[in-house]
Amino acid sequence: MNHLTTETFDQNAKAALTDVQLRGALRNATSLFGERRREAAAGLVNWEDLRSHARAIKDETLSHLDKYLEQFVTNAEARGVQFHWAENAADANAIICGIMSKRGARTVVKSKSMTTEETHLNDALEDAGLQVVETDLGEYIIQLAHETPSHIIAPAIHKSKKQIAQLFTEELGIAPTDDIAVLTRTARNTLRDRFAAADVGISGVNFGIAETGTILIVENEGNIRLTTSLPRIHIAVMGIEKVIPRFADVDVFLKLLPRSGTGQRLTAYQSFITGVKKNPGDEGPEEVHVVLLDNGRSRMLAHPTTRQSLACIRCGACLNACPVYQQIGGHAYGSVYPGPIGAVITPQLIGLEKAAQLPYASSLCGACREVCPVKIDIPQLLLHLRAEITEHTPGNAKKSMGERLTFKVWARIMTSPSLYNLSTRLGRMFQGLFVREGKIGDKPTTRIFPPLAAWTAARDLRPLDATSFRDRWRNELKGDGND
Amino acid sequence: METTNTSNARGHILASIREHLAASREHDEKLRVHGSAAAVVPQSNGGKADSVPFAIADGQTQFATNLESWPSAIANGTESALPAVKGSPPAAQSNIELFKTNLEAVNGHCVIARTELEIVHALTRIISELKHTQLNPRRIALSDAKGLERLVRLVAVQIDEVAVTPSSAEMFDVDIGITTAQATIAETGTLVLDSSRERHRLISLVPPVHIAIVEASNIYSTLGEALSLLQSDQEISPIVTFITGPSRTADIELTLAIGVHGPQELYVIIYDGPPLMS
Repeated sequence: MNHLTTETFDQNAKAALTDVQLRGALRNATSLFGERRREAAAGLVNWEDLRSHARAIKDETLSHLDKYLEQFVTNAEARGVQFHWAENAADANAIICGIMSKRGARTVVKSKSMTTEETHLNDALEDAGLQVVETDLGEYIIQLAHETPSHIIAPAIHKSKKQIAQLFTEELGIAPTDDIAVLTRTARNTLRDRFAAADVGISGVNFGIAETGTILIVENEGNIRLTTSLPRIHIAVMGIEKVIPRFADVDVFLKLLPRSGTGQRLTAYQSFITGVKKNPGDEGPEEVHVVLLDNGRSRMLAHPTTRQSLACIRCGACLNACPVYQQIGGHAYGSVYPGPIGAVITPQLIGLEKAAQLPYASSLCGACREVCPVKIDIPQLLLHLRAEITEHTPGNAKKSMGERLTFKVWARIMTSPSLYNLSTRLGRMFQGLFVREGKIGDKPTTRIFPPLAAWTAARDLRPLDATSFRDRWRNELKGDGND
Repeated sequence: METTNTSNARGHILASIREHLAASREHDEKLRVHGSAAAVVPQSNGGKADSVPFAIADGQTQFATNLESWPSAIANGTESALPAVKGSPPAAQSNIELFKTNLEAVNGHCVIARTELEIVHALTRIISELKHTQLNPRRIALSDAKGLERLVRLVAVQIDEVAVTPSSAEMFDVDIGITTAQATIAETGTLVLDSSRERHRLISLVPPVHIAIVEASNIYSTLGEALSLLQSDQEISPIVTFITGPSRTADIELTLAIGVHGPQELYVIIYDGPPLMS
């Protein structure tokens, strides 16, 4: 087991770049998901309206989060759901262990939930001597391998079928195979026994509907339906930001979430759970519990820029679109939330000082903002966090003196035509010292200048053209007319 | 009702939410003045239905009539009228075709039956075809939908056992589950199962094959219509399930595998004919 941490992001990323198999898998996954998302979005004429609408719903909810949460809780409680509030991960885990021990429950089947990854619930359950098995195929694979998810919606994307087959042979004793259908059937059969025997089912929540007290959970495999239907106790773990005001709002989010995540029009299953069963003889669990988790979320409400982070519906589209994620994958981020959204959420959840490299893991290209179904301005958030990091890093004031001077000079040059002309002329005169094969690359001369060396260590810079545009305009392009 | 000492936590979390929202107000104001970004907090009246500033083309349709129920054809033996929905296409036929196309696009099967006999024929054909596959069904479980058992008894295929609403322990040995559905959605090829109308939560989920019989008049055009319908009931049932095709995963090398935890085969028989006698 080798869990990477956020503090070592730079090293993690460098190591990931040398992993040929990982990069192949990432290339396939991100391009396929990206292509499917594009097609699915193009299938709806009002896609842009839907995004704006979804964002407006989220903004409305978040700016009155206390009211909507209370409305959600009141309505669900009236239908028999039991609520537990957890300020942090440890509290959430203690609550869940407490519910289980009070009822003598020993075994848990779990469906995929990023929130319980965030709280490291499985470790807590195992420490309490309880048995927990992940039932989503991807999560099951990585649980067997003692790894962590590398993608929000495809947790085992980094593993090849050969590796998975070998894992199943070692752990489950099946004959060696590389038939995906056989692997899938093996997981189905093994997990059926666990479903049949489990005392408790633990799930996440996609949306909590305030108006009706309904929990909505979205999936493809059917393991969430089994998790929430078979055991006598269902515990749902829900971040406080998952609430939406009205039942009709579901329409908008069910159009956006599957299309953005997997490119599906609708995933195979949606479970709308509204309270507990009415008669003891009815199907379904006897008890439904919801654990509401804060764990740093309420802090993000304090500024409209950071508040956006809470609008995320965990579709994973920004991961697929991100040129950084595409190269390094999820594990390098050292956090359960990878990619662009992870780079903004993680530092806010665990503290800027612990994840100070993450907001810099971006070229600010804006691809994440383009694909986000709830229009989160991730580049704006990244800059906001970078500014905070700079402000709060001790010794930075001194270090940034040079930087400040550089940008002052830069601004002076760029706003004065004559200084600009002079500097480009000087640039043309002296750039020959750095140019090799038509590029400014890694050379003994570039290494002398630290800022330039930092750039050219890993990539080339294009030299200035022999004639400037201004000269060409004057001499060749400008017509005789004055217009 | 359980309160694992969380009343304190509840107070703390709500206080933290209020405190941080209050701290945000000056920044919100700045943003509003500068008219920047999407992050401006919308003016809201705190949760009334009209407080979303954007209207959306579909999904806003409201049913004029409050449907007393939306029964399946077989459940009560009467044809339920399609409620008047503003802006929905009147041609039911196109909805059937649309539903079929969309269901087949997600690896489901769809058969249209015009008489009771055709339903029995369709069931016979499906089950006898499955006999020739690895599944080789021997045990069938039925939901408690009215009239369903009578229809299945007419099926001319050798079946060892037909059980009506078996226990969850017995469910694991069942090969085919047969249910009705309370509504379907044409634009997505989706079945809507309402647990308060029928005992089909596990029968539609645990066996490797699920066959659902639905009445053509219960097909709705859009997701938004189906959602409005659910809400038009007095109270939403404890569990409502949307099903779109068989269970699926792509967790291993993004390769589609059907039937990972739920059914690997989903058949929908649409009954488009006169009211059934039960």
